[in-house]
Amino acid sequence: MTSSPLPAAPSMAAHPEQAFLQADGVKKHFGGVKALDGVSFSLKQGEVHALVGENGAGKSTLIKILSGVFPYDAGTIQFDGAPYCPASPHDAKASGVQVVHQEFNLLDHLSIAENISIEKMPKTRFGLLDRKEMNARARKALDAIGLTDVDVRSPVNSLGIAHRQLVEIARALQSDSRILILDEPTATLTERETRRLFEIVAAIKARGVTVVFVSHHLDEVFAICDRVTVFRNGQSIVTENISETSPEGVVRRMVGRELETSDPAEEERSALGAMALSLDNLQTRQNPKDKGVSLDLHYGEIVGIAGLVGAGRTELLRAIFGIDPARSGTLLRDGQPVHFSGPRDAIASGIGFVTEDRKDEGLILDMPIAANASLASMKAVSRSGILNFAAERELARTGGERLKLKYGRLADAVSSLSGGNQQKVVLAKWLARNPKVLLLDEPTRGVDVGAKAEIYAILKALAREGVALLVVSSEMPELMTLADRILVLAEHEIQGELARPDFSEENILKLAYGQNQTAGEQ
Amino acid sequence: MTTDTLKSAAPAREGLSLRVLMQNSGIGLALLALIIFFSVTTEHFLTPNNITNILTQITINLVLAVGMTFVILIGGIDLSVGSVMAFAAVVAGKAITMPGFGDAEAIALAIFAATMTGVLCGLFNGIASAFWSLPSFIITLGMLNIARGGALQISGAQTIYSFPFAFEEFGSAMVYGVPVVFLVALLFVLIAWFILNFTVFGRLLYGIGNNEEAVRLAGHPVFWYKVAAFTICGLTAGVAAVVYMARLNISSPIAGIGFELNAIAAVIIGGTSLSGGRGSVIGTLLGAIIIGVLANGLILYGLSDFMRQMITGVVIIVAVILDYYRARFASK
Amino acid sequence: MKFSKLAAAAATSLVLLAGTAQAADKPVVGLIMKSLANEFFQNMMKGAEAHQQKRGDYELVAVGMQNETDFESQINAVENFITQGVDAIVVAPADSRAMVRPLKKAMEAGIVVVNFDVALDEDAKKQQGVELAFVGPDNRGGAKLAGDALAKKLGEGAKVVIVEGNPGADNATQRRLGFEDSVAEYKLNLLDSRTAHWETEEANSVFSTMLTAHPDIQGVMAANDSMAIGVVKALESAGRKDIQVVGFDNIPAVVPMIKDGRMLATVDQFGTDMAANAIDMALGVVAGGKPLEGWVKTPIELVTAD
Repeated sequence: MTSSPLPAAPSMAAHPEQAFLQADGVKKHFGGVKALDGVSFSLKQGEVHALVGENGAGKSTLIKILSGVFPYDAGTIQFDGAPYCPASPHDAKASGVQVVHQEFNLLDHLSIAENISIEKMPKTRFGLLDRKEMNARARKALDAIGLTDVDVRSPVNSLGIAHRQLVEIARALQSDSRILILDEPTATLTERETRRLFEIVAAIKARGVTVVFVSHHLDEVFAICDRVTVFRNGQSIVTENISETSPEGVVRRMVGRELETSDPAEEERSALGAMALSLDNLQTRQNPKDKGVSLDLHYGEIVGIAGLVGAGRTELLRAIFGIDPARSGTLLRDGQPVHFSGPRDAIASGIGFVTEDRKDEGLILDMPIAANASLASMKAVSRSGILNFAAERELARTGGERLKLKYGRLADAVSSLSGGNQQKVVLAKWLARNPKVLLLDEPTRGVDVGAKAEIYAILKALAREGVALLVVSSEMPELMTLADRILVLAEHEIQGELARPDFSEENILKLAYGQNQTAGEQ
Repeated sequence: MTTDTLKSAAPAREGLSLRVLMQNSGIGLALLALIIFFSVTTEHFLTPNNITNILTQITINLVLAVGMTFVILIGGIDLSVGSVMAFAAVVAGKAITMPGFGDAEAIALAIFAATMTGVLCGLFNGIASAFWSLPSFIITLGMLNIARGGALQISGAQTIYSFPFAFEEFGSAMVYGVPVVFLVALLFVLIAWFILNFTVFGRLLYGIGNNEEAVRLAGHPVFWYKVAAFTICGLTAGVAAVVYMARLNISSPIAGIGFELNAIAAVIIGGTSLSGGRGSVIGTLLGAIIIGVLANGLILYGLSDFMRQMITGVVIIVAVILDYYRARFASK
Repeated sequence: MKFSKLAAAAATSLVLLAGTAQAADKPVVGLIMKSLANEFFQNMMKGAEAHQQKRGDYELVAVGMQNETDFESQINAVENFITQGVDAIVVAPADSRAMVRPLKKAMEAGIVVVNFDVALDEDAKKQQGVELAFVGPDNRGGAKLAGDALAKKLGEGAKVVIVEGNPGADNATQRRLGFEDSVAEYKLNLLDSRTAHWETEEANSVFSTMLTAHPDIQGVMAANDSMAIGVVKALESAGRKDIQVVGFDNIPAVVPMIKDGRMLATVDQFGTDMAANAIDMALGVVAGGKPLEGWVKTPIELVTAD
């Protein structure tokens, strides 16, 4: 163990410009599917190297190969001038390659310190667990990434999602890393936490560690990366210096075509319809205060809800949908007071809910695309309780067509789809019911750029057709693209409302942080 | 054989593919291998009489396993079926020996009493575990004791006997050498297969086993679906009790000890995942046949009781390991 | 089954409390039974209760267990009886070895101990230095009675099978040995011997398979009547009327079978009276009588249609 949780710069730093990891023509097949079809790229000492590409373009497969999860079929990888083919994740770690995965690998009920030391628990002379040493190590590791205010003895499940991500990074950095791979580290972070992460990445880089940064957010890539490699269809398309390219150029490479650029300001907005949904002082169970949320949503309107993680956005949507019924307040649907005692009631009144977490709440991953698409429309695809498979296929096919869903067969498990297409299946599930009100929580999380644009187009089309949409998102550009109005929530209260002309990240953040600067910490 | 639905996470009505066939035929091949082995090594295995015997012997386990499949598919477990069967048998035994009824009425009353007892026990299991979101393991462990105690209490720990002759005839009736009670069990398999593959209810049971929350958020009354799965399991325990009584012409309060484990074994060997959401009742049928063939074949082979027990254990473990590889093959 | 143990222990203590409340100066007898789910012991228990009502000069505190192998609750019961200071313990041991040490403790505490139904293991008794008489039927001799009846009916060289009780259970072993004694004496041809765990359904399945393997079976010796019923049902399904069956215990359900010839014989060991007899002997010793010695055999009788 080094005394510092951040590894000292290896002696190699003498040749910073020389590639110390070089991959050429790497291929990987799963059955008949080509996951990687000729990937070549290089890593330099102490650089931050972005991997971008749509979901399914091959980034994840490459990361898994580098971290020893599975071997590659063809091509070569040289690491420090020697062939590199790790037989296991353990092997890869021994070579200094560390990964912070998109899915959390923390053990919820164990303490932060235990999680950080899980790979190599410190032992006393008697072979017992050396708790003191373990806690000290964890303290150092957390201090190094600026998490000075967190108790290492508290269990991981007491942490928010953002802090968990940071604990993962602290764990990875604790070993002697030479290459640190961050797989979509900012997907669950707020802006503020993202900034903190960037500071940490800069510090790591200064130590001579190479950081591989996988992200869907090109603004982030352009903020901290030195070089970027673009993937498409299992191939590496190009590697460019960030200073010599532009986000538009990278997007063009990623999708292999021009995206329709839409200037939101010039877009035609339909006239507002009648009041679809109205909340009057609605208080969620989690809201500790006396004051609830009041808002109006009209047909044909997209209202965005911004706010930091923990501001009560998801809770609000869940209360509207009847999952966790509200403590008090009234809900008017088409002007009539309603009480939803469960999702069933909400759905019956024409509301749909695209949840934040598609793996846990939105989809049945192991079941076919068709079965997922029809999940909320069982009546439409059955007669007296008996399924009509032809009707179900038809429903899924038309839904898929409408959303430009890319799939093999409708009988394939939904888990075989990329993130963007999975999200489209969630949308298809609700659109099959022709909802009048659609609640969306982080509608494009983990979705690639191309699919994102498609989803935006669909949502806007829905609004034009008269559907009322309530969108919660942590991505401010997303809200600014989609919404007619943005309500900013903090601590279960609406802090203010922005009309289109006033849209800016600065204005949103001002409201989100309000007077209370600590809101973002929790 | 209906291999297309065997083992798939949910009915995929897109025809047979080689992959689907490979995924699903493992259990069938294992059964075939056992049958060939016993046919070659023992003299009497492949005789009409012995096949009749095997079918009779697996009937009770098959009926119980069909119900168990529903519960395991939603990620639950029912440890009480053996005891509930004994309870139902004793209640029905008391009913059938009540004086003042003709044979037909007594038999109808007994069948009604047995199935209702099973249904009520299952209903209780389902409501208790679904309402409080408690692990069904512990609720049904409680029911295991309640039902066994109830059976002993009602019967005074005495074997109940002397049932109408017609009831006994039903228990030993044959159609072309196939026991009628087995045909009843097969009917249950078919009904279950239809429910699980062709109805909204069945589809949502698979959904609940995979992702309960997603099904709930899609507006389905998950609570009642879960209760229904346990109730079906209870119903099959009641039906098993009727089969037991018809076959042996007695009701014993100590019947069915350990039967729940045999039923679970049949379901798991049949490829249904203990964590729910994946499996099929056709697999359960094959699993029950494998257990029955093994029990019968090993006696004919002349193996001692203890070796027989060991080999049955080995087969259960091997089946689960095979299933692990099948699942991996399927995910590639 | 932790659950059942707890329940049994709780039941024990409750019963003890109730027992002492009434015990003024009458002697208190602690009766430790085996599984009351077994109708044989259930009947024995009822016999003991009736006996107490009839004599009326002692207090009876009875404890059963949940299943045949649950000897831990018996050990607990002995310890509770010692604490409670009963005058006599009358016990049907669930395990012939495990029960020796706790019973020794009871004897050292001055309690009269009577061992009935199943004899404690001789070696274990010697090891612990315990001198304790056994009051009970000769399971082996009883089984031999049934076996002999079968042999006499079939004649020398007849082909027979045994359906055994729980492997490891003392009475199951004794009965199997008794059947084997008949086999040896009458030079029978023993084709197979398998357990059906005392249970009707399992006996039915196991025996029908044995019959397939050995279609020439002429006689069956079942270690209890529940299993004999399963065997009779298997014979009926197979349409075989030529095979003779003997059982053990003489439970009510086999009475019609013996009468109409579906069973040849069973053995009655008068289980209903067994506990009551043992209690009588224990009270005799408590009242100052001579300590019991050796094996006090209780009556057994062969039951046939005649």
